[in-house]
Amino acid sequence: MEYIIITIGFALTIFGLYGILSQKNMIKIIIGFSLFTTGINIVMVAIGFIRGGTAPILDEAGKEIGKYVDPLPQALVLTSIVIGLGVTALMLAYVMKLYQDKKSLNINDYKDLKW
Amino acid sequence: MVGPIYIIAIALGLAFFLGFFGKSLKDVSAFLMLAGLAFMTFISGQWLLAFFNGSVTTQEIFTAGFRPPYSINLRMGYEEAVMTTMINVIGFLGGVYMFKRLKEVGNSAMSVFIVLIMSLNVIVMTRDLFNLFVFVEIGSIATAGMIILEKNSKSLQAGLKYLMATGVISGLLLIGIIFAYYFAGSLNIDGIITAHVGVTKAGAVAVFLIIAVLVLELKPFPANGWGLDVYQSAKPGFGAIVSAATATAGLYVLYKVLPMGGETWYPYIVLIGLITFVGSNLVGTRQKDANRLLGYSSIGQIGLVMTVIGLQPILGSKFSFIAFALLLNHYLAKAGLFWLSGIIKKEKISDWYVLRKNKALLILFVIFIFALIGFPPFPSFFGKYELIMSLVSTENIWIAVLILLGSFAEGIYMFKWLGDVLKDEDQTEESLNISWNKFIPIVIVGVSLLAAGFYSTPYVEGAHYFYFIPLGFIVFMGLIDFLPAYVKNTLSIAGMTYYSYIIYPLVEGDLMRTIFFVIFMIGGILTLIVGYNKKGKREGFYPVALMMYAGLATILTSDSMFGFFFGWELMTAGSYFLIIRGKRSKPHAYSYMLFSVAGAYLILLGFAFAYTSAGTQDLIALKDIAVYTTLAYTLLAVGFMTKTASLGLHIWLPGAHGEAESDVSPMVSAILLKAGVFGLMLLFLYMGQQTGETLLFVLGWVGAFTALVGNLAAVFQEDAKRLLAYSSIGQLGYILFAIAMMTQLGWLAGFTYVINHFLFKAILFIVVGGIVVRTGTHNLYQMGGLLKKMPFSFVAVLIGIITLAGIPPLSGFAGKWLFYNAVVLKGWYIQGVIVFFAGSIAFMYAFKLIHSIFLGQLKDNHRNIKELSPAILIPAYILIGGIIYFSAYPQNVLEPIGNMLSAYFPATVDWSGDGLATTVLSYWNGNAVLIIIVTTFILVLAYLKLITGKTTKLEQFNIAYSAERPFRPETTHVSYNMFAGLNKAIGFLIAPGITRFWKNISDMVLDLAGFIRRLYSGNGQVYAVHIIIYIVIFYFISLG
Repeated sequence: MEYIIITIGFALTIFGLYGILSQKNMIKIIIGFSLFTTGINIVMVAIGFIRGGTAPILDEAGKEIGKYVDPLPQALVLTSIVIGLGVTALMLAYVMKLYQDKKSLNINDYKDLKW
Repeated sequence: MVGPIYIIAIALGLAFFLGFFGKSLKDVSAFLMLAGLAFMTFISGQWLLAFFNGSVTTQEIFTAGFRPPYSINLRMGYEEAVMTTMINVIGFLGGVYMFKRLKEVGNSAMSVFIVLIMSLNVIVMTRDLFNLFVFVEIGSIATAGMIILEKNSKSLQAGLKYLMATGVISGLLLIGIIFAYYFAGSLNIDGIITAHVGVTKAGAVAVFLIIAVLVLELKPFPANGWGLDVYQSAKPGFGAIVSAATATAGLYVLYKVLPMGGETWYPYIVLIGLITFVGSNLVGTRQKDANRLLGYSSIGQIGLVMTVIGLQPILGSKFSFIAFALLLNHYLAKAGLFWLSGIIKKEKISDWYVLRKNKALLILFVIFIFALIGFPPFPSFFGKYELIMSLVSTENIWIAVLILLGSFAEGIYMFKWLGDVLKDEDQTEESLNISWNKFIPIVIVGVSLLAAGFYSTPYVEGAHYFYFIPLGFIVFMGLIDFLPAYVKNTLSIAGMTYYSYIIYPLVEGDLMRTIFFVIFMIGGILTLIVGYNKKGKREGFYPVALMMYAGLATILTSDSMFGFFFGWELMTAGSYFLIIRGKRSKPHAYSYMLFSVAGAYLILLGFAFAYTSAGTQDLIALKDIAVYTTLAYTLLAVGFMTKTASLGLHIWLPGAHGEAESDVSPMVSAILLKAGVFGLMLLFLYMGQQTGETLLFVLGWVGAFTALVGNLAAVFQEDAKRLLAYSSIGQLGYILFAIAMMTQLGWLAGFTYVINHFLFKAILFIVVGGIVVRTGTHNLYQMGGLLKKMPFSFVAVLIGIITLAGIPPLSGFAGKWLFYNAVVLKGWYIQGVIVFFAGSIAFMYAFKLIHSIFLGQLKDNHRNIKELSPAILIPAYILIGGIIYFSAYPQNVLEPIGNMLSAYFPATVDWSGDGLATTVLSYWNGNAVLIIIVTTFILVLAYLKLITGKTTKLEQFNIAYSAERPFRPETTHVSYNMFAGLNKAIGFLIAPGITRFWKNISDMVLDLAGFIRRLYSGNGQVYAVHIIIYIVIFYFISLG
């Protein structure tokens, strides 16, 4: 089960990366980033998963089974999601400003700095 | 002690509360921001101080009282204290520098700035991988926020590219971290190190991802287009933060996590660092935009420190000093340069001449450039010296070579830039607008660089605080630069005299050093006397002239290779500034500097071989170098020959000497060139005839051809000073040839030439330089007939050229006599013939010189010309006194030299008679020759005077051109195209093939740079692809 999830996660990561590298529309590139980080987050959760474990909450149900899934990756994922949100928002802000400047969303139009 | 956790608490609290402050409280919030940064600096600074005193030990801070892996921990050790202090200091100074701009943008910008500095602090202190990821991300977001301080389209584009690149990078970091956790069961760096996750294939991939990402954060060449764009388009005030603070944190993190992977990873870091250092600097050679250029240089320097981090296992106990010296040097110099850029506000480096409007900023600029290239007395000089020594002595020669290549490439664009700043014509009226908050941070980093150099001394074998004494005097002379020239001249002469008095005991008893002592120090004082001729303030002259002499003195007196190299570089720097003072000297000073830097690096490598062989920095290490013997001696010889301007390495000299100011020419010609000779002599004596057989043979030929080409080129010069400059090349060729013979007679001849060339070239350059100023032209065919106007000058030049041409009775003949004896005894007949031929060509230009200036027709515009001032003539006549003494009593000088030399070579000359020198071939008595010739001359002169009573005196205009005036009158001058026939016959020998050769090389380098930099297409996606490809290649090299 967790291997399927890890595979899906990596697939999503690769899809995202492909979108980042192949799309010309900057909004689509940002969507690519979202896929990319979501994929990674899925992988992280899957890695901490323990078959038959419960949520890492100290309650009676957990005590019965005697094992919790690793709480740490889940905490990491939460942080990672927050950071991803910040980055996405900042990117969108940048794209908005750029669009106001040149009225284009095509990344090829923004190559003023080179060499 | 305030706990390091308060760095974070204060920054976060402040950033949070600033958000509540309205726009009306902007002043309050700006001061709060500075106060916060200052307090952060105070916290890390007090820890640093405590560690320095040894009063504390490394502190671990655990969150919530748990131990890892159940908590996040921060560490405050000595290293962390150093790094956080560096970051916070630059954060505070940067805050002061950007004060107005931050206030303009508002509280949000201040919050972001504080958060950025805080995140860098945590990146340094944290021992937890995920915490590291979080703060790397916070740093990236804050950086992207700061980039738009400069609100234009370019910085927006750069910001988006930056976010895209760091987005991809941090995603990979996250994957690496989670797998490291999976295999090690801990996020704690120390936990992962002890878990040895790298041993399994999958674990190694996790470690690989983390290391590769941290490397990518440092913007390795060539996957760094996004970083370059940030440097180019962000506010320079912020560029300073990225280049200094962010890079410091990034480098420290790399250093911190590398042990996770074990020993095997270090070589890859070396490789990546080297590629970055060489590649980035190479591509930088084509750059015209100042901020992007600083970006290339920053990335290069960071690559260098990365290399050193990778070399940690090799460098052992020296690692800390080398890494810290290089990092600190980059940190201070680059921050200073970016801040300067923020004041100058010019995109193109060719527009930076406005810097000259403010002397203090100009000096700071010079300090930063020289610090980056690694000149003394800056920390990078000490660091690089130790680095090269350690690398070569551990058999890592190629790494050393690549590092020197990278440094040279950096020199190519830095000195180009410096030349533009110093010499480009000022085209603007606008004045520089400098506010105090921008000025003070630059001064602080500049002074810190000097201080850091001073405190590097105890870490390097062979370095002494003693070397800094003349530097102190130079700083003093710089501070009193507003005084009139004659006051500073007197002070300089007094200072040099006193310093000579102090260091004389160091050379006393060593005849060779004493001779060069006289040339360097006494000669220096004499050439300074000429300076009384100059009016006004002569800004900037005295510090640099004294710098050159200080360097020469250090070369002479040092007993270690380090001291020698210190002096050598100091002399190079001083002479560069002297040379570039000439009106049209920019390209010549540039090529002088490039040849000098390259030569110095060859010497450095040679010294490193000697150090490897002998295990000591003492100069005696040069004796019998046991490793790579031939290579080591060849490198040293070629290195010294860049200063003696031997054939192939001479193309800088004619312009540099010819275009220099009138009293600088004798300094750089008569005196400076002898430093190269001193180096060669020292080298040959240590090397010995046996070891250097082939090398000496080749150098003999080089010397012979140098003599021929130099003299021949001199013949065809129309420019009086260039004629003398080419003549120097020829004369130095004689010297090289003579000492390459490695016999007592050869060396005697060599010493005679050294002394003679010093005397007559100083006289000729002093007098001819004065005449050039008086007549207002360099061209010989625009002079003439000055004999009656300047009789004293005439006599001085006459004595000079008699000595030069080696005509009896003056000491030039002594050199020739010894020389021919030496050639015959050595059996170098063919080379000897070439040199003999060159000698006869010397007659021609000597004649051309004196004839064109003093004989012939007086020019109309020179009708009211006056004799040169005593300030010029007195030193010249003192030198003439030297020639006369040397000519009359050569044995007084040559006999002791001969005795000294017989310790090294079999004695072949005998001085038993009273002033009579005897070899197996012939004998010669300088005293008698002088008396006989002078008597004959006086007799003939008296007779001619007697019979000329009957001649008719011709007036100047008692001539006619058949009632016509020639179309171009100067073409009828005898000096114009003089010796045209000779030119037709053998002029091809001096076709500028060598100049073309070097030109082609430089074109090739620039073309290569132009080709490589097309990688930076400007497209953010392409840069993301670069990152992916970089990771893939790195993977296949390291784990594949």
